[in-house]
Amino acid sequence: MMLKALSSDFLKIRGKGLWFLIFIGPIGLIAMQALNYGLRYDYLTQKYAGKLWEALLVDIQMFVPISLFLGVTLIPSLLSHIEHSTNAWKQLLALPISRGAVFRSKFALSVILLTISCMVLAAGTVILGFSLRFELADMPVGEILKLCFLPFFASLPALALFLWLCINMRNQAIPITLGVLIAISSVFTGLISSTWSKWLPINWPMFSFAGPQQELFVGAGFLLGAVICLLGTFHFIRKDVS
Amino acid sequence: MKEWVIETKGLSKRYKGRYAVSNLNLKIEKGDIYGFLGPNGAGKTTTIRMLLGLIKPSNGSVHIFGQPLNKEKLSILRRVGSLVEYPSYYGHLSATDNLEAIRRILGAPAARITEVLDIVGLSKEARRPVKGFSLGMKQRLGIASALLGSPELLLLDEPTNGLDPSGILEIRELIKQMPKQHGITVLISSHLLSEVELTAGTVGIIRQGELVFQDTIAHLHQQAQGSMSLIVSEPEQALATLLQQGIAAKKSGDALLFANIGDHAVARIVKSLVEHDHAIYRVEEMRKSLEELFLQIVGEVKPS
Repeated sequence: MMLKALSSDFLKIRGKGLWFLIFIGPIGLIAMQALNYGLRYDYLTQKYAGKLWEALLVDIQMFVPISLFLGVTLIPSLLSHIEHSTNAWKQLLALPISRGAVFRSKFALSVILLTISCMVLAAGTVILGFSLRFELADMPVGEILKLCFLPFFASLPALALFLWLCINMRNQAIPITLGVLIAISSVFTGLISSTWSKWLPINWPMFSFAGPQQELFVGAGFLLGAVICLLGTFHFIRKDVS
Repeated sequence: MKEWVIETKGLSKRYKGRYAVSNLNLKIEKGDIYGFLGPNGAGKTTTIRMLLGLIKPSNGSVHIFGQPLNKEKLSILRRVGSLVEYPSYYGHLSATDNLEAIRRILGAPAARITEVLDIVGLSKEARRPVKGFSLGMKQRLGIASALLGSPELLLLDEPTNGLDPSGILEIRELIKQMPKQHGITVLISSHLLSEVELTAGTVGIIRQGELVFQDTIAHLHQQAQGSMSLIVSEPEQALATLLQQGIAAKKSGDALLFANIGDHAVARIVKSLVEHDHAIYRVEEMRKSLEELFLQIVGEVKPS
């Protein structure tokens, strides 16, 4: 039943800028580093000689959490806006489909779209390194994949939360403001304290790649994401649709 | 026993202590067109939302096709088509794609899209994005979506809201043929009696959340019989003339009012007035407006 809703959702997102956003996010990240390395090519290649790929990954990694938080805010918001704008919820939910399937379909679609973003980021990283004439034999494939996917898994709680908020709030300004605030503060909150920063889910995308015990943050991301998604579904099933 | 397509028992919805719908017992027969009337804010839309499972009743039950809605929601909704208040649509998609998005969930055959577009007369505009449609076209697209799953029951909430007279006529004709051609039972809500009196077989009137009338349209007509008004040159004398002949009338301004009189009586009155040299300027039938009807019906029902 969820697949039916999903196939319908894929049709609805046509021409709504979601695909554009999905590609422009990772391409923007790569373009930023292309500029960085292009302008200071000699200096950087000398400074990081022998560990060029690793240096590039660290530079990209700085911006991965903030882009992810923007992504997990904007994608659910655009998705919900399609239904909110003419209050299509009342039409959609009067169809013979369970509300749980409707909610799960929106969640699955967000995950699929953001996974595509992650794949574009991985491909972009390889292409950038290749164009900067980094040694192909040295390419740390495992690390590249980790950088591109682990922070996303760790940000699943945020995705579930924003999907829940965006679906329930007609006024999308509120979740978007919250999302932008979280995205910007995610740059600093990792540095507050070495003892309890790791307890804040906002830092999990960063720690899932940069910190020790990466698997812990990824696992916690999956777990909390699933819990919030369940809570959101439960609430959505019971609420009145006006 | 009759077969009820919709039957509600004691259906109520409370918002913050105030009843939007209270103790509603609707009975809708198979193959009927049921006109659901009431002024704005009377609880029509709330009722229809409860019938579709969009909102949960505070009390009472809904049975559709004889099955309880709260248990068999999906199998019931599979057989129901609906248009709730203003049409919902995806403006960036074409009419065909709007229907396709719904069809993928319903699992209806793809050919059905062309069929329903044809029924509502949108075939020519099928490829245009819906945001450029006029309100009437959007409303018709909404009806097409409701018909897409070949439903046995149609719930239409104010389907002619905001349409121009020709659009209203078109939709009315469309609704009229549903029971005849497809055996569909239709519930259509409106705040205008004139809107449903030509199509509906049965009417239910709701006021402040309570059902105050539920009967056939013929019975409603009987209860709501209009009066005749005559505007004459000398109302005082005319009144006296008629009283002499034993015809009861009331004077209001320049007009004489006659309640519940047949064609022959009208002819007799006119004839005798003319014979007595009264000039008759106008003979008018005063039909009761919905609001007057309401007051009458509520007045009759309340004391019991």
